[in-house]
Amino acid sequence: MKRYGEHRFPGKLFVVEGIDGSGKSTQLLLLHQWLKAEGFGVVFSEWNSSPLVRDITKRGKKKQMLSPATFSLIHSTDFADRMERNIIPLLKAGAVVLCDRYIYTAFARDVGRGMDPKWVRELYSFAVKPTAAFYFRVPLETAIQRLLVGRSGFKYYEAGMDLGLSGDTEESFRLFQGRIVEEYEKMVPEFELTVVDATQAIEVEQAQMRQIVRSKLAQAKRLRVAP
Amino acid sequence: MRETYGTVLPGMNLADLTGKLIVIEGTDGVGRSTQIDLLKPWLEQEGRAVLDTGLTRSDLAGRGIKQAKVGHTLGPLTLSLFYATDFADRLEQEIVPALRAGFVVLTDRYIYSLMARALIRGIDAAWLQNAYSFALKPDAVFYLRIGVDDLIPRVVFSRGFDYWESGMDLHPSEDMYESFRKYQTALLAQFDLLADKYAFEVIDALGSPQAVFTQLRDRIGRVLLGEPREPLFSLLTAPPVPLGASDRDGKREVAPVPAAVPERTAAKERTGKPAAHAAAKTSGGAESV
Repeated sequence: MKRYGEHRFPGKLFVVEGIDGSGKSTQLLLLHQWLKAEGFGVVFSEWNSSPLVRDITKRGKKKQMLSPATFSLIHSTDFADRMERNIIPLLKAGAVVLCDRYIYTAFARDVGRGMDPKWVRELYSFAVKPTAAFYFRVPLETAIQRLLVGRSGFKYYEAGMDLGLSGDTEESFRLFQGRIVEEYEKMVPEFELTVVDATQAIEVEQAQMRQIVRSKLAQAKRLRVAP
Repeated sequence: MRETYGTVLPGMNLADLTGKLIVIEGTDGVGRSTQIDLLKPWLEQEGRAVLDTGLTRSDLAGRGIKQAKVGHTLGPLTLSLFYATDFADRLEQEIVPALRAGFVVLTDRYIYSLMARALIRGIDAAWLQNAYSFALKPDAVFYLRIGVDDLIPRVVFSRGFDYWESGMDLHPSEDMYESFRKYQTALLAQFDLLADKYAFEVIDALGSPQAVFTQLRDRIGRVLLGEPREPLFSLLTAPPVPLGASDRDGKREVAPVPAAVPERTAAKERTGKPAAHAAAKTSGGAESV
């Protein structure tokens, strides 16, 4: 079994991380379009998207059956399935793989829920190290304002309601996301995350990302894709 | 006080877990469930409330694992984490509430079976040890040990060879018999290593179900009395402890089953099972759930 570390596969792995409302998904979408146009074989892999485990997770969330431990383990199951059946084969095939959220999301959320940081890190030690991991740093209030405009409310686990921090969903969301930001900040030096100032204009952030990605792809194999 | 193998899950107070955790381990077809079906009514006659539980029965992941196995599509790491999720759910939702309420928890397999299966599928030992380090250390692990040559006839003449029990996902052989033999040989070797590492009490499973039961009963009797593992005397001839036995006769560990202890109510609501077993205790409650 491979442990966390530099992979030797011909493909490249880029991940975006940050709290909800940091704008990371928008940035990844723009990066995706650009890489496709540049002629790379690009594949997008979403957090929580393994068909096998997704239904269990959904039901567990809907029925509020998940404890911090089972929340952590069911997400790691989902991630392992994607890693074994999707990400690693793609990297072996030389693809550029884009992930909206990666192991750092698990570390931030699970430790925010009281799980042991060392335990969670070891649990995910089978993950391959990304070519670059972008962390979209944004003040909590900015993110919350963006989210309040875009949607009707916060979901139970997203707001950390399972932790009983506050009876008010918005307040609970604020407290829980505050913990998550703290965890992300600890991970910046630990995992050498590439920090993007996510308060900038969208096109400015995108230009910064493309510059870094371009430099990492210099020697990457270009796969022909259908126009 | 109770311990875990490493990390302690959030919200778990180990000092509260006053019940006894007894594990029955052993390979497929060795007779674990037969023994549990015998032990449960015996313990209930002794005045102990019993929760019996086993692998892949959790509300959260049990069904999902069964569904996923039908398709035979899970990678070894994913399957391992799926089992760990299921185990954590059972631990938190069934085992811990029952231990908190003073139950004897009889579990048909525990983390060791999960580890053995994962190890022969190439999962890293240190990784597994960390993944399951939140598990509670049991009061005793009884390992029903059998050789592969004695196991095969039992399986053939009861239910036949099963895909997973033959390790067919590992493709050891196209032939189900050869696969079963190879897979179970490897599995038994892992169990022997784990037996050493985790200090299992080994029971020869070759005897009749009644003979195995007699051994288990004696050894569990000693565990419940909080006595050392090495036999000081046989409990075989000891009279059954009547319901309602109390501190007076010196058997303080053998507590009656109080029906109305407040914290027990909460545990019953969460687990469902203990309530049913406690209610069935006077009738011997031998039906399996």
